[in-house]
Amino acid sequence: MKPQSAFEREPARRVFANELRETRYQFKESEDEKSPTYVLLPSGIRSNRIFIVGTLTEKQRQGDQNVFYRGRVVDPTGTFFIMAGSYQPEAMQQLARIEPPAFVAVVGKPNLYTTPDGTCLVSVRAESISVVDHETRDIWVLDTARETLDRLDAFGTTEDSNKAQEEYGTRPDVYRKIVYDALSQVQL
Amino acid sequence: MNLSEVTERISRKLEAKGAQPDRQKIESRLRRLVEEFGVNTAEAERTVTGDLAREYNLTGVGSTSTELRPISEITPGEWVTIEGKIVSLTPSLSPSIAQNGIIADSSGAMRFVAWARANAPVMEYGHWYRIESAVVDEYKGAPNLKIHSGTTISRMEKDAPLLPSITPVAELKPGVGSVRAKVIQNWEVSHDRMLQTGLLGDETGTIKFVIWKEEGKDQLDLNTVYNIFYATVDEYNGRLSLALNTAMYISDEGDIEVGRNETEIQGALVHIAPGSGLIKRCPVEGCNRTLSRQNYCPVHEIQPEFRYDLRLKAVLDDGIRAKNILMQREIVEKLAGITLDEAVGIAETNPLGMDEIFYRIRNAVLGRYYTCSGNEFGGRLLVDSCSPVTFKSEELASLLNRAGGEAA
Repeated sequence: MKPQSAFEREPARRVFANELRETRYQFKESEDEKSPTYVLLPSGIRSNRIFIVGTLTEKQRQGDQNVFYRGRVVDPTGTFFIMAGSYQPEAMQQLARIEPPAFVAVVGKPNLYTTPDGTCLVSVRAESISVVDHETRDIWVLDTARETLDRLDAFGTTEDSNKAQEEYGTRPDVYRKIVYDALSQVQL
Repeated sequence: MNLSEVTERISRKLEAKGAQPDRQKIESRLRRLVEEFGVNTAEAERTVTGDLAREYNLTGVGSTSTELRPISEITPGEWVTIEGKIVSLTPSLSPSIAQNGIIADSSGAMRFVAWARANAPVMEYGHWYRIESAVVDEYKGAPNLKIHSGTTISRMEKDAPLLPSITPVAELKPGVGSVRAKVIQNWEVSHDRMLQTGLLGDETGTIKFVIWKEEGKDQLDLNTVYNIFYATVDEYNGRLSLALNTAMYISDEGDIEVGRNETEIQGALVHIAPGSGLIKRCPVEGCNRTLSRQNYCPVHEIQPEFRYDLRLKAVLDDGIRAKNILMQREIVEKLAGITLDEAVGIAETNPLGMDEIFYRIRNAVLGRYYTCSGNEFGGRLLVDSCSPVTFKSEELASLLNRAGGEAA
């Protein structure tokens, strides 16, 4: 049997669009080329990968030589901007096939970039996209609400959340309100 | 006898206490005692150690090794004196090893090795011995008693009955362990020298066992409970297994309800790994390996008479941890809503062939929430039951309470 490597896959964090949109801080643990890049979420946790479920409302094919797709995925709190290019062939081909509007589940890596006029944008480089149903979307809202509340409950007690306090001046109450509003939109 | 070895041992003992002895000085003192005064090496070692300890104002250097210690409290790096019974002797694997086996007292048991160079008296099975100034180091993650040339062994006129304490399977640690367990699975032996291998279990969990071929060793009977005394617990890739060659085992009355130590994870399927879907397996008995697209088995080469199978290798992610999981045919059939026969039918007529099945299964399960339970094996959850997560309104209500306090 092959020896087990110490490699551990980065978990996919659950985050609402509203929180991801506020994300501004990106860092690496070490100088090593292969070490993962994290963004720091305002609720106080690092994230190298996220899992989102929402409604794909729009998609666009862009580029001539290097074709890539952009899409907008909407959750109860806002919009995620996703993209998939030739380095994500699986996601690109899946996205090419899906016709909006549709409920989709996206696994991807959050990326920060700054536009020439200085605004910071967050996009999600998709690793995979699949069509799901309404119930999965609702379960995701509950799941994301729970994990966001867990992070807010631990706020101030972890290294990452102290860093978030420094970078963003996070007010946990504001995020609790966002979670509450998101939950309120789920039909009983 | 080599004096530089003794020198090394003495200086290490002193260094362990924080002193920085001069090795040349130690060796010249030893040489003087041994060569000029005809003192035997063990006595010379004791004398020099004691003298130097006094010079460096150290306490507990010479004395620790004569103080009797219970086996269970000994940790690697110590010099010890113990009294124990030889409960197992195993054939030596190398000419430099005179004897190896297991020595036990009422507190526990430990593997020991007597080096050929030590010229130690041969110890007999079932007798008690007092072993002075042996050194304990770590071998394969477990403490191991080394009998070297400075160790004194004396046979004792003691014959106290020794009842090994039984350890629950879930609490076994590398080293020596005694269990009361039931044989729940017999596995195909994977090696010529192997007599039997399979799975043992008690109320707390299960563990793999091996018996190597050796004269006088019997196989265990399936579904029978055994008292197994002084088996060797090995660790490999973070998993423990039990080697019974050092052990004495006798079948016991009664039955055991074997605990399955199941793990349950709820999360989203975030990745479907290559090698999922419809696969071909090697038909050679006991092989069952996955064949390549060209029907090539890594061991049995080209196998045109393969068997088809369905499986799913994936990652289930709860947002905190990503877990590799593996599902067998029955579960994949249920989850993806496709039977093996249907999958084979589709694959043989569809231009994408087996890829088509991969895509169908992926589209059915990727990005959805499941609760999976099963046994963990090598960092992977072998799923034996899996069900989709459903939306629960009471969960919504409780989360609303948590988030808002005042419900709207």
